[in-house]
Amino acid sequence: MKKLLGVTLGILTAIGGFVDIGDLVANSLVGARFGMSLAWVVIVGVVGICLFAEMSGRIAAVSGRPVFDLVRERLGPRTGLTNLLASFAINLLTLAAEIGGAALALELATGIDYLVWVPGVALVAWLVIWRVRFSTMERVFGLAGLALIVFAVALWQLGPDWGELGRQLTSPPESEGAPTYWYYAIALLGAAMTPYEVFFFSSGGVEERWTRRDLGEARANVFIGFPLGGFLSLAIAACGATLFLPHGIEVGSLGQMALPAAVGLGQVGLVAVIFGVFAATFGATLETALSSGYTISQYFGWQWGKFVRPRDASRFHATLLVTLIIATALILTTIDPIKVTEYSLIFSAVALPLTYLPVLMIANDPDYMGVHVNGRFSNLLGTLYMILLLVVSVAAIPLMIATKAGQ
Amino acid sequence: MTAARTLHAQLHLLDRQVVRADDARMVSKADDLELDYDRDGRLYVSALLTGPLALGPRIGGVIGRLMVAVTTLLRPEEDPAPRRIPMRLVTDIGSALKVGGDPAEAALERWTRVHLIAPLPGSGAPAHDDEPPPDRQHRGAMRVSELLGRTVTDAEGRVVGQVADVRLSQDGHLLGPAANALRVSGLVVVPRNTGQLFGYERGPGGAGPWLVRVVVRRLHRGSRHVTWDQVESFAPSPEIRLRVPASELADLRELYSTLPST
Repeated sequence: MKKLLGVTLGILTAIGGFVDIGDLVANSLVGARFGMSLAWVVIVGVVGICLFAEMSGRIAAVSGRPVFDLVRERLGPRTGLTNLLASFAINLLTLAAEIGGAALALELATGIDYLVWVPGVALVAWLVIWRVRFSTMERVFGLAGLALIVFAVALWQLGPDWGELGRQLTSPPESEGAPTYWYYAIALLGAAMTPYEVFFFSSGGVEERWTRRDLGEARANVFIGFPLGGFLSLAIAACGATLFLPHGIEVGSLGQMALPAAVGLGQVGLVAVIFGVFAATFGATLETALSSGYTISQYFGWQWGKFVRPRDASRFHATLLVTLIIATALILTTIDPIKVTEYSLIFSAVALPLTYLPVLMIANDPDYMGVHVNGRFSNLLGTLYMILLLVVSVAAIPLMIATKAGQ
Repeated sequence: MTAARTLHAQLHLLDRQVVRADDARMVSKADDLELDYDRDGRLYVSALLTGPLALGPRIGGVIGRLMVAVTTLLRPEEDPAPRRIPMRLVTDIGSALKVGGDPAEAALERWTRVHLIAPLPGSGAPAHDDEPPPDRQHRGAMRVSELLGRTVTDAEGRVVGQVADVRLSQDGHLLGPAANALRVSGLVVVPRNTGQLFGYERGPGGAGPWLVRVVVRRLHRGSRHVTWDQVESFAPSPEIRLRVPASELADLRELYSTLPST
């Protein structure tokens, strides 16, 4: 019974933790501009993140080694460093965007300008990381993020023309050109498969001292939690498609993204969506901040993690602190958090192969995995995704330039 | 007695996480390996080298040089050497390298703790911090990274390729109560600069996935195995000279079809 409760809790956490500012922004934007015609990308992205999160979780449980440790070990110091610099830069942008997102949610709730909230959000995030136990932290914010289910309820209340939504699945609107269509496809893929998710997931496995016995629970989290998180993403897109697409409204602010919940469910919906957005972005602030510490520490082999006292992982905690300060400074320049998110998604997509290739290799290495090496199915899918990610990685920047970042 | 364990420096040792054997605390990465001569004049792995002074030269370029320069500037010694962990302390070579005893703490870890983390409330740090004992300076004959990437020429002076990995066999003298020294037993030479082998050269089946294996092996076709006896000289000239013509070198694949994979 207790075991079942643990698994359920883990799954709920995974659903709530799946959606962050990236998913929120990308799905709202795409729903409003392209309807449901890019829904297939969300599904491709969710299958991809399930595949690689399962591999990295399995590696962490069996060998105790998290993803960036493997990146350096398999790619060597030079390519590893390139990946580190790229991942760190993307992570920093994402962290800045998440802090901005949480502050924007507070602005929606209070009417006080988000810039006032930014330093407070960052300070509280640091205090949580410094003091709160890892499992408590993950549970609380994961579960609070579940409030975003309001998008699914709101969609149902909005009473969309389901036939019309279904028709959109296969036919993109004619007003949009092919390059912008593919540009947003890449952004959506970047949102679903953001590398920090596997950095955090595998390091979290080590933090919670997973062993072979926890493989079942880890798999349940991935295979049930992430797809349900993906379902939330689709609900957000469908809300946009129902409310904004018919009127040709482009979504550019967090207020607009929250609007469908208010229209569909009134005041209750508005409260729930603001709470959900805050929980999701604040939870992701913690995850991205920790991920920046994880990646740098794991590359250099430093002691990291919240499972030791801060004094025993001082370089790790120093990295966290400095990264949070830089990200806060970045968002305080009044740079638009939504724009920052859009760019970080595209750069994420560029960096994907460098992170996922070593994971795929190590998941096949009997030195690490013993009998738990990849099966044929994982390898077949893994190979297909490697090809896909390479194509996406090459195409992302040219498409960004050609479409002037999707305009 | 069973055959001595064969390891590859690049694949099995370099860039692996080093952890303390008793509590799995992370110590560092194996940034480089120190090689020394044993009584028979054979090279063996004498220590793991860690820290920026070991990592910098491997990264190379501006960033690598900067890393070394800054560290040298900040260290109190005249001519600082990288932190070393003697191989006799290594108790297990697996997905991490386990070391016994209590390896010295990195200077940067100490500095950030004393100046940044310990003063914050709730860090769990005691009020005072003992000075670490001064590092004993020891330098081995060379580092394994000095062999990797070097050009190999055969007896007739033709270029065979470059060193992609160094084969080690655990048949040297006793280092500690448990382990024999890892002696350099050969080189893996690839014809072109095509990056690492990623372990896909091992065994007849090798690791999956199929497409990655095929691509990596295709990039490294014509790779050869050089035994240490076939090496004529490797220092101080920039290239490694062999005493046999290239045609006598074994194909890398032959080696793995005759030996059981480790």
